[in-house]
Amino acid sequence: MAARSVCRQLHRRLCSAAVAVRPPTAEVRSHRNAVFSREQARQRALYPRVEKIEVAMQGPGLEGTLLIMNKGMSTPLSCAQHLTEYHVTNSALALVDGELWPLLQPLTHSCSLTLLTFKDSDPTLVNKAYWHSCAALLGQVLETAFKDDFTVELLSTPEVPVTSGAFCCDVVLDPQLDSWTPSEESLRSLTRGAQQLIYQDLVWEPLEVTPSVAQEVFSHSRYKLEEVEQKAAQNPKGRVMIYRCGDHVLLSGGPLVARTGLCFQYEVTALHTLGQGSWGLQRRAQGLSLPLQLQAHHTVWSKLRQRAAKLFGKNREDGVGCSQPPREEQAAVFKSCHQRHRHLLESKGRSIFKSLKVCSRRCVS
Amino acid sequence: MRLTLQMLISHGRVARRIGLGPHSRINMLRNILTGLVRHERIETTMARADEVRFYAEKLVDYAKRGDTDEKAMKMASFWLTEKDLVPKLFKVLAPRFETQSDGYTRMARIPNRQNLDRAKMAVLEYKGNPFPPLYPVKKRNELTLINQLLKGYREEKAQLLAAKD
Repeated sequence: MAARSVCRQLHRRLCSAAVAVRPPTAEVRSHRNAVFSREQARQRALYPRVEKIEVAMQGPGLEGTLLIMNKGMSTPLSCAQHLTEYHVTNSALALVDGELWPLLQPLTHSCSLTLLTFKDSDPTLVNKAYWHSCAALLGQVLETAFKDDFTVELLSTPEVPVTSGAFCCDVVLDPQLDSWTPSEESLRSLTRGAQQLIYQDLVWEPLEVTPSVAQEVFSHSRYKLEEVEQKAAQNPKGRVMIYRCGDHVLLSGGPLVARTGLCFQYEVTALHTLGQGSWGLQRRAQGLSLPLQLQAHHTVWSKLRQRAAKLFGKNREDGVGCSQPPREEQAAVFKSCHQRHRHLLESKGRSIFKSLKVCSRRCVS
Repeated sequence: MRLTLQMLISHGRVARRIGLGPHSRINMLRNILTGLVRHERIETTMARADEVRFYAEKLVDYAKRGDTDEKAMKMASFWLTEKDLVPKLFKVLAPRFETQSDGYTRMARIPNRQNLDRAKMAVLEYKGNPFPPLYPVKKRNELTLINQLLKGYREEKAQLLAAKD
């Protein structure tokens, strides 16, 4: 017991030491990926022999369908692949014995399986998972969009019901960026970044891990370490779910949907400043998205996105008109821009984003 | 029987000429109407379906008078060539349409007849039959993502309006 507590202390101290001198973003990223891959390989190696399980499908038109699948290897998605293309493209989540199950997590026992879609008679769970996933995507965009000189610390995403009109993601940017006010163009380029991820159709690979592994994954971020402990305490099994999308590893509050390609309309609508928190100047990014199966007419979409730009909470009315600074003061923030725009931007200020392909029309005019 | 401009200026001849003459027409319509009452959904040429529709609705109107009514019974026994359908008309169809005052039937075009003469074809049915629906049923689901978003939007609009007043 004593040894364990000593170990934990030492681990924590090592972690805080690591945080103090934060290594470059690319290194953090590769570290997280490496730990994730290692743990995933370890969990896969738990089932060396191919064992069979019986999966009873449930759902309209699937009564009595029994699939013989591989234990610890087959996922609900592979069950869907045995059915029709409709099931593969439309399922967002699975329900295993009445319990939510990410579509790409391997099945471990004989069970009954229901594939959930956005057009079910009661899609509340899927909607919630979709909102979580969109927030996760927003966090990924925010973390990758800025240049490597700026650190981006993602805070936990607040629980937001779908009826509130937008999903959101709290973030603390580098202290150098405290005076930066995001312009419409920078929001548009964030949107562009999200749409590129959607176009790549990346999967959210789920992995259920013990808190110690999760702490190793997020050992560079002090905030995440605390969050891991909180999540582990909340979970009855004492484990946490981490997801990987492309090369971004994230900690999730709830199950996420299968792929980024399920999103169709996606827009980052606002980046509000919440005020000074314990980690620095907190900002809240908000967005709006709709899946491929439920598309909105542009008039409806514009109304919804106007609403999604407002800040949640008590100061909702105050945050409506996020004041736009004059053009000259706006600093461009992306890493690489179009040749022509870089020209324009360099004349005005420093660029802090990685790519600025989106601001085309406004910049020229 | 459809009242179009052409029909209006046709000097009273508002029905199509079907079959070999007036008697033949009536007999043909009786047979089709009997089939309709028996099966509740039939497939026939569009002209015949359109003609029968008027009589099918009229027959239900008579049936709603009740089986003690002399005129209603006379009409039923004339138009239904198979007499075992008379109780069905009074006991099943008349109670079904008690709340409605008209529009007991539904007609839908189907692809033209391919094997014989490419005639326009149609399906005629009494509403409330046990068969699968002719048209896909529109599903209204308040719980889908977009409807939930719009619900939130409407609620906020209503709140703003209430705050203004």
